[in-house]
Amino acid sequence: MKSYFSIVFLIVVLLTAGFAHGQESASTTTPRDVSVSQQVAPSPETGVDPTAIDQSQASPHDTVETINEEYKEDEILEEYVAGNLKEEKVEIADPLEPVNRVVHGFNDKLYFWALKPVAQGYKTVLPEPARLSVKNFFSNLAFPARFLSCLLQADFSGAAMETGRFAINTLWGIGGLLDPSSGKELNLQKQDTDLGQTLGVWGVGQGFYIVWPFFGPSSARDTATLVGDYFLYPVSYINPWYDWLAVRTYEEVNATSLRIGDYEALKDAAIDPYVAFRDAYAQYRYKKIKARKAKGSSSAPVTRQEQPAAPVPEREN
Amino acid sequence: MKKNFVKNFPAVLLMVLSVLAISLRAEASGLFGPLQTVSREQGGLNTAIGYLYHEDTYKNGESYKIKQNEIYSQAAYGAKNIWEVYARIGVSNMKIAGIFASSDHFVETSQDDFEADWKFFGTLGAKAFYPINEMFGVGAFLQGTYYFSDFSDHVAITSGGVPVRTEMKFENLRDAVFGVGLQAKLPCGTNLYAGPYLYYSEADLSLFSGLYGTEYAEKHYTVKNKSLAGGFAGAEIPLIKGFRLNLEGQFADRFSAGAAISYTY
Repeated sequence: MKSYFSIVFLIVVLLTAGFAHGQESASTTTPRDVSVSQQVAPSPETGVDPTAIDQSQASPHDTVETINEEYKEDEILEEYVAGNLKEEKVEIADPLEPVNRVVHGFNDKLYFWALKPVAQGYKTVLPEPARLSVKNFFSNLAFPARFLSCLLQADFSGAAMETGRFAINTLWGIGGLLDPSSGKELNLQKQDTDLGQTLGVWGVGQGFYIVWPFFGPSSARDTATLVGDYFLYPVSYINPWYDWLAVRTYEEVNATSLRIGDYEALKDAAIDPYVAFRDAYAQYRYKKIKARKAKGSSSAPVTRQEQPAAPVPEREN
Repeated sequence: MKKNFVKNFPAVLLMVLSVLAISLRAEASGLFGPLQTVSREQGGLNTAIGYLYHEDTYKNGESYKIKQNEIYSQAAYGAKNIWEVYARIGVSNMKIAGIFASSDHFVETSQDDFEADWKFFGTLGAKAFYPINEMFGVGAFLQGTYYFSDFSDHVAITSGGVPVRTEMKFENLRDAVFGVGLQAKLPCGTNLYAGPYLYYSEADLSLFSGLYGTEYAEKHYTVKNKSLAGGFAGAEIPLIKGFRLNLEGQFADRFSAGAAISYTY
């Protein structure tokens, strides 16, 4: 009976584990990154346009000269917005929206009802440095996926950096619990990439939006790499299966404990959280791929532009 | 966190010393290292990986030479250039030469040497340093080790035409080391250090069946290291980007030597 409850508990926690925070290398987005994206490019749901805000602040009772000056400022701002903000706006096809919304709601409930309470309790018990060490440990284990992604993107310096990081953090970082490689002296920064980004760098479009139960937002392209990411993650080879389940659950609880509040902040700020997360995910992935392309532009064999990366007009509300 | 650690340092040190004093869990597992911590003066971590080829002589009536290859990882916290506490976890194999050899002509054994695979060990230690001047200083250290797993090997014995297969276990290997030394800092940043140390090691030797015809015909023994004192000398050489190389030799009845590379955070 005791083991039965243990298994049920582990399953429930695992179900919540990947919600919107899936494996780092997997095709999910983190609330922290999402919120950054949202700041750069206002969510279409809100219909907030920085130019409109600025114009509304202009007083109709001012002198003509003052108005003209303000309009000049608006023109400058419009150019700035056109050149810097609008180009970051990316949309993703969503033919499965009805199903996705159901799964999104399911994941949302799992987060608030199971994952968050467990993570909060865990956070209370374990101090942040220890939780960061655990995060470092699992991040170090995810080296194979980052290394292979760098190689496939012809980013050989990134692959070398990842190898150096893995060796140093494993040997002098107590098995990866510490991250000496990121220090000022060594300055070997983690290559934030995965197989989904690799496909994007090589010109594969993101396809349609899909929300996976437990794993959260994804796209057709990123979903295709989930299997690869699974096999490249050493934790996946833990046997028996319930040990693997326990380790993955613990990893997700630990990761969640380090970002409690981020998800809630984005959700509360959005009129329609589903759309907010969808757009944020698309922008987040687009920016990641754009950054990787920029890094490897001199050597990566980019064959064509990623289709969804093109600027799109703002959606009408 | 650092403030708390420094604040609680006396308690931590007392705990470490208590563990060492109570259980005598120390051994020459790993290098002793330089007497002065390599951590930052304001307090910080340093980590290391190391290797030690260790030879020693244990006795219980008859003496036996043991050989070990020890690989370990160390985490240490030190401050003010005068104190450090450290912990190690590592693996070691073991070979005991001639322990199965029979003195009885009517007894034959399948092998003379005891050989065991890699087993885990843990070490706790502390060191303190007092600088005499810019170049010289004196220091002391205390460290203890305990092997979490038992070394074991099987041997087939034929006595009077009757074959017997038995297992020998080298259990609860633990030891304690206390050393003092002098350290000199060369202009190039290299530290040289040397000094004497006291060393006590003990293990339980057991057989599941009597190994008749050998010196170890009974089932349980306690073996101890033959020499209680020894000497050590080493050099610590700065490499690049916070890494340092440590080379060291130890002598207590037999010679041991090893190297470690540390990284200062």
